[in-house]
Amino acid sequence: MLRLENVTKVYEGGVVAVKDVALNINKGEFVFLVGPSGSGKSTLIRLMMRDELPTNGDIWIAGKHASALSPWKVPQLRRSIGTVFQDFKLLPNKTVYENVAFAMEVTGKSRTAIHSQVPQVLKLVGLSAMADRMPRSLSGGEQQRVSIARAFVNRPLILLADEPTGNLDPATSVGIMRILDHINRTGTTVVMATHDHAIVNAMRRRVVQLDRGRVIRDESRGVYGASGATEDREEPVDRAVTDDDRTTNPASAQTEVETADTGQTPTENRVDEAISSEPTEVVAEAAVEGDGG
Amino acid sequence: MTGLSYTLREAVTNISRNGLVVLGAVLAVFVSLTLTFGTLVLGEVVRINTLQWAEDVRVSAYIRDDVSPSGITDLQTEMESWPEVDEVFFMSKTASLEEARILLANRPAALRVIEDDPSIVPASLRIKPVNPDDYQTIVTRAEAMPGLLSVESAAEAIDGMISLRDGLQIMSLFLAIALGIAAVALIANTIHMAIYSRREEIEIMNLVGASNWFVRTPFLLEGAFEGFVGAGLAVLVVVGGLRIASNQLTELPDWINIGIQSDYLARSGALVLIFGVVAGLAGSGLSLAVHKYLRT
Repeated sequence: MLRLENVTKVYEGGVVAVKDVALNINKGEFVFLVGPSGSGKSTLIRLMMRDELPTNGDIWIAGKHASALSPWKVPQLRRSIGTVFQDFKLLPNKTVYENVAFAMEVTGKSRTAIHSQVPQVLKLVGLSAMADRMPRSLSGGEQQRVSIARAFVNRPLILLADEPTGNLDPATSVGIMRILDHINRTGTTVVMATHDHAIVNAMRRRVVQLDRGRVIRDESRGVYGASGATEDREEPVDRAVTDDDRTTNPASAQTEVETADTGQTPTENRVDEAISSEPTEVVAEAAVEGDGG
Repeated sequence: MTGLSYTLREAVTNISRNGLVVLGAVLAVFVSLTLTFGTLVLGEVVRINTLQWAEDVRVSAYIRDDVSPSGITDLQTEMESWPEVDEVFFMSKTASLEEARILLANRPAALRVIEDDPSIVPASLRIKPVNPDDYQTIVTRAEAMPGLLSVESAAEAIDGMISLRDGLQIMSLFLAIALGIAAVALIANTIHMAIYSRREEIEIMNLVGASNWFVRTPFLLEGAFEGFVGAGLAVLVVVGGLRIASNQLTELPDWINIGIQSDYLARSGALVLIFGVVAGLAGSGLSLAVHKYLRT
């Protein structure tokens, strides 16, 4: 699904962001990209979405030779990729529904398809009741769920997430990870760059560790910091729910905690338990419907 | 079609969201094209009037009294064979005297000299050029003919008229180019601002795979709209101004004609509208080509 062959990215001024990376990610895999800040995770994500071109090497995305693709073919390629960012990138003047529908409208989907798909995806991320709300009235976790809904509404083959839980408290992060996990179960390949030890350790999925632009570890069921690997302890596992998140919208923060099926501050075990708990009826239903397009 | 309705809706949203900037661009196009169209119309007024004057351009070849009637006929036939010459009229001494009496009605001293000795007014051949610009060639050729006292033309008046006409044509061309570039640049600037104000949407469109044309078309439509409305206002103002001028300026001398043909106004007005739309598209295209948010 994603293949990188000896990919190097050097920015202007000679900064080497990615060095000689070879990576093969199969359909349906869930891959964590971990490593300290500046290790090249975000650059790798941008290379995988063809937002950047490699200085050297080749990249294949969904069967297409992305690094040799003409610029006018890039939009078509992007339709097979969903992207989620730490800062959500929602349009402040559109409602939740409109933000999600936007991804379908601008790719020329019919009104009928939009009317049928958007509510399904909003149900998947647990935001059916908030379809008419504006992004500024949502908590960080809810905004990120809107962003995931938008990334998934066109049923991409690949979902790339760059620090999707970076701005969220642990309980909210668990909710986000459950959604990503269930999207992955529909067959979508998920690649997620993260600093979140608890989540990586709890999910036990493939872990690719980067250090100064190089892949220094690639384990099929890895944890965040393996023995001998470069450790990155910037983010405490048991950080508190941010005041901002609670004060902005206490009600929705509560909703998130409930959705995540966690009532307390999560430890890694609780995270594990929360993420791997049985999907809700809503999620399971949407996952089945997810095959449509 | 979602695509078409989306594109139109977004173009309207752009325009309404940046109302003041759009108004500025429309006014700039309006002023530029009013000046350009106004100059074109002024050029047409001069062209019509110079045409009218050109009809009256004559070279006068004054004949010596000793030339026989058959000699005069030979001169006339010879001149009529020249390619620069349209027609040659013979003015007898009597007809020339009558003309002199009319022309010198306000100059009694000169008139008295003629009345004292009418025989001093010579007969003449009045030569009408095919093209008034060629009068000097006719003068030179006629001066080489035998039996003539002198060959004269209203040289200064003709030269002045021709240079005024040519000057206006050059000026209107220069103005059209300069103001056209200004209109394109102003629209480009407006679209640049519109793109900047929508950079988040554009970024998301690029992320989810909107085609390049899908992203760009609303901005092209906005530019075309601004150009069209600005040009439309310019046409209304110039045509309306001309109508008012025709009705109000009844005191104009007879020799000035501002009655421009409607088909000229319709044709040039349509050209101004097309130019406005093309300038709008060019301005948008220019902005879209250089804007960093639109690079894939």
